[in-house]
Amino acid sequence: MTKFILQRLLAGFLTIASLSVVAFFLLYLSAGDAARNIVGQNAPQELVDRKADELGLERPLITQFLEWAGGAVQGDLGRSWFTGQTVTEALTTRLPVTLTLTIGAVLLSAIIAVLLGVIASQRRGIIDRFIQIGSVTLAAVPGFLIALVLALVFALTLRWFPATGYVRPGASLVGWLSTITLPIIALSIAATAGVAQQVRGSMIDANRLDYVRTLRARGLPERRVLFMHVLRNAAAPALSVLGLQFIVLFGGAVVVEQVFSLPGLGQTAITATSQGDVPVVMGLVILTALVVFIVNLAIDLLQGWLNPKMRQS
Amino acid sequence: MKHTRTLRLAAAVVATLVGLTACAGEQPSDDATAQSGELKLGVVNPNTSFAPWEAAWAMESPYLQAVYDTLLRAEPDGTIVAGLADKWEWDQSKTKLTLTLRDGVTFSDGAPVTAEVAAESLKRFRDGTAANASYLTSVADAEAVDEKTLLVSLKSPDPSLLTSLSQNAGLVGSPAMWEDPDASNNPIGSGPYVLDKEETIVGSTYVFDAKEGYWDPESVHYDKITMNLYSDATALMNAIKGGQVDATASQTPTQIPEAEAAGFKSQLTEATWAGFVLADREGKLNPALKDVRVRQAINYALDREGLVKGLAAGYGSPTAQTFDKSSDAYLPELDDAYPYDIEKAKKLLAEAGYASGLDLVMPSNNFVPESEFAVYKEQLGKAGINVTWETTGDDLFGKMLGGTWAAFPMVLETPKSGWAGIQFALAPWAPFNVFKGTDPKVMEYMTTLGTAEGEEAQKASQDLNRYVVEQALFAPAYRAQSAFFTKPGISVELQSDNGMPYLWNIKPES
Repeated sequence: MTKFILQRLLAGFLTIASLSVVAFFLLYLSAGDAARNIVGQNAPQELVDRKADELGLERPLITQFLEWAGGAVQGDLGRSWFTGQTVTEALTTRLPVTLTLTIGAVLLSAIIAVLLGVIASQRRGIIDRFIQIGSVTLAAVPGFLIALVLALVFALTLRWFPATGYVRPGASLVGWLSTITLPIIALSIAATAGVAQQVRGSMIDANRLDYVRTLRARGLPERRVLFMHVLRNAAAPALSVLGLQFIVLFGGAVVVEQVFSLPGLGQTAITATSQGDVPVVMGLVILTALVVFIVNLAIDLLQGWLNPKMRQS
Repeated sequence: MKHTRTLRLAAAVVATLVGLTACAGEQPSDDATAQSGELKLGVVNPNTSFAPWEAAWAMESPYLQAVYDTLLRAEPDGTIVAGLADKWEWDQSKTKLTLTLRDGVTFSDGAPVTAEVAAESLKRFRDGTAANASYLTSVADAEAVDEKTLLVSLKSPDPSLLTSLSQNAGLVGSPAMWEDPDASNNPIGSGPYVLDKEETIVGSTYVFDAKEGYWDPESVHYDKITMNLYSDATALMNAIKGGQVDATASQTPTQIPEAEAAGFKSQLTEATWAGFVLADREGKLNPALKDVRVRQAINYALDREGLVKGLAAGYGSPTAQTFDKSSDAYLPELDDAYPYDIEKAKKLLAEAGYASGLDLVMPSNNFVPESEFAVYKEQLGKAGINVTWETTGDDLFGKMLGGTWAAFPMVLETPKSGWAGIQFALAPWAPFNVFKGTDPKVMEYMTTLGTAEGEEAQKASQDLNRYVVEQALFAPAYRAQSAFFTKPGISVELQSDNGMPYLWNIKPES
């Protein structure tokens, strides 16, 4: 297991390192007239030159990259060209919001998806069909539309939740919950649909396995067969989908954060890309790669824990 | 059994979540927060920097006015009044300005506001990278005569200087910021509020707490101000309807009816004009534009009423001048100087030798709806002006101001005086005089405006405006309206020389 983890860590490091090189050169080459964007469109050329000089944009790209990479390995990703804030600080202050949404949405969708998947696979018939059609329909609805409808109904009409804004959990736990509930629900709906389908399929397959039939024949209580054996067997593929959903949701949070005006990475991503704030965009690329890597590793480990056979493979 | 327990636990967590969030709906009503001394102000531009020498202004002014004082202040009508300096005086030649700072003002770190700090602030702004650094180009030197007396020496007279000192050029921050690498996010000013760093999320939410012992308590109306950035139009409208903002600027004029329907009052301003900059007046790139008849033909070819309806959803005023009603150069009759007349446009083109048509290459971009370029192309096409749009990306402004196109469509701020108009778009050093041509007549007006005051200044500004319109140096189409929304219980007085009202003019209704 240790060897497996070490191998994965090395592979992860190499992937992120090569991604950094490619991303850096692509981003910096396409940055356009960055200094002009920063000082403003109406500024005279002299000011533009002053800014370019201050940021060292006139130096060879390779020099700029080596300086960035040197800082990056020590955890220093540079400073935002626009706000002057360190990229590390800009991302770490916003990461908790996006992670809260993503983890919340994954947990919520996992719970509901398992319930729906189990019901659909056990009851079959009309309930199964209803759940299936419902899942496919919901999965097809764009996230922003769900977010808008939720905001309209629960925030603007019923006034149960605030329509926009974020409260830190440290400031008010109730306030925090009220600001993240609708975004989490908005994010989780499409994810639930996908995972529920996966759970249902895997449960049906697992139900047909010989040893499950044997357990039932031996008179083991149905609930125990279902949750201890069938679900455990069906969990591995569901986990893969859930892992994938986590990554999709992490990116999908952009739209939901925008609709609810939450200070997460999504807002940073939109601002940084539209302004051409290359250091921040680079930071986002690295952070996203790290998240994808960590989630994949966690899924592999979880699957190994659930299914010992996978550890050997 | 372990799994069953987990499921039960999960169910319990969900139930608690639902219960707790339901309680959230019973939080104090929105009206209560306004009365409790908090202002929730919506902002639509991110804050460039809190470092005074990098600071922007216009829509970003509230961030800076919360924590800093400016050397001078401007009333809503633009009149200059005391700020950090309570006295100021020009010498005979109008090239030396002496400012006397008020006594006993300190920065939030306890350091005193002295003439020496103010002098250094001015020089740092002039030599820094703020978008308006050119406001202080005329400043030759700034020095402290004594602890409270600041002497600013100019290379040549600059009638805009006092206004500049009431904006970002006049911001004064603590010397402790000068060498601080985090200065852009760590303001230390002498202003009415201090930034609550704990509650602030840079680029999203800024929380300011009123400072005790501020020298001008009359201008402080709230104990706390929370500024939330709304970069998304739907989020801003939801915040208005959901009561998450008390006052905010609009993002687009189309939000006006929706905000009013939500019970907000909207006050309109016209601070920008949309149309064409006919930059190549010397015919370097497109010889046709050297001929005043061609430039006038472009003006006659614009159906301004149609453009207001089509491009600004009706929220605009057709105009052929670049100055707005609050400017000393404004002349109402110039709004209608070039009535829509295709035949006249064709006739002028024919006289100039372009009877068979004129080709004009201009830049288009992806941040303005494609339809806008189509509308312009169609309108100019009717008069025989064949527009070819050249698509550009992020490099648009650099190329545009570098003289790549003879003319281009633009939305520009309306200058507040003849002098400001010259500095912005007409003088050889002006950023929007992209071919850097010198117009002797404009330079004559500039000399007059440099020292003129009162009626003399107004007359020179108006004469300049008339000249610019007659010469068709631009082809403005309309002044675009923007709105500032306030909920009941809050009053606001708009600023004639700034897109965002000044912070002390947003207050509880008495």
